[in-house]
Amino acid sequence: MTEVAAEDWLAAVEALKADGFDYFDWLGCVDDIGRRDCLRVVLVVRNLSQRAETRMLSCSLPRDEASIDTVHGVFAGAAWHEREVAELFGVEFVGGDRRRLLLNPEFEGTPLRKDEVLAARTGMNWPGAKEPGEYDVSPGRRRLVPPGVPDPAVWGDRDASQPAPDPAEVAQSAVGGRPRRRRR
Amino acid sequence: MSSLEGSHRWIRLIEPACTSCMICVRECPTWCISLDSHAEPVGGLPSGARERTRNVLDRFAIDWSLCMYCGICIEECPYDALEWVGELTQPGFTSEALVEEMVRPPS
Repeated sequence: MTEVAAEDWLAAVEALKADGFDYFDWLGCVDDIGRRDCLRVVLVVRNLSQRAETRMLSCSLPRDEASIDTVHGVFAGAAWHEREVAELFGVEFVGGDRRRLLLNPEFEGTPLRKDEVLAARTGMNWPGAKEPGEYDVSPGRRRLVPPGVPDPAVWGDRDASQPAPDPAEVAQSAVGGRPRRRRR
Repeated sequence: MSSLEGSHRWIRLIEPACTSCMICVRECPTWCISLDSHAEPVGGLPSGARERTRNVLDRFAIDWSLCMYCGICIEECPYDALEWVGELTQPGFTSEALVEEMVRPPS
């Protein structure tokens, strides 16, 4: 995997295509929250004449201003992948197709960012909260929480006068399992 | 044998194999499985032995209005207590009617 700066992205893709890697495989995105405050756009191309050899390019973008050049002029098929990444991760592809691909036009949010909260579930009782052999959820234990639903102390029941929670904190509290108590 | 044999149509609980471990309930992405169980002391232990309990399954239900037939519960079950069945689930006119009680609580 070759890491490329955002301003060199288009040139790097064009160079790979000129080098014989002219089969576009896929373009995706990874949320690196918790490790770095970045979204990482990944692109994979293949050279079908050389036993389908692959090259991977990645580009790290700041989460609050994720913006990168479109490559759909180089590989037309990348347009769908870019539209998908744009709506699911909130990455802007400069010069790209801005239409929605999968989500409703009225949908707000970026579902595949890890700090995205499954808000409707915070008010529901998770059937998995019980332990085997238990009729009801017993208080006082380190309870299991479902993935995607954050700790109410971080998101939801939070004191409104406090500043908004840090995205990394929200993402960390919504991984599911048996969370450690938060240190104050 | 029909070509649809073993296809994703209905999920069945094999009750004797279930240990009420809650893994299927917790892994389900749509939260469609409900499971109630209680712990019962194991009888017939030699005197002086430590008391033991085992979990008894009281209720197992799948809400077919929520299930997306992904089969994660079947994959995750460590005791192979869930399996695909080639028949279709029963239709219903209300959302309550789509909750299939596979094991009912003792009345």
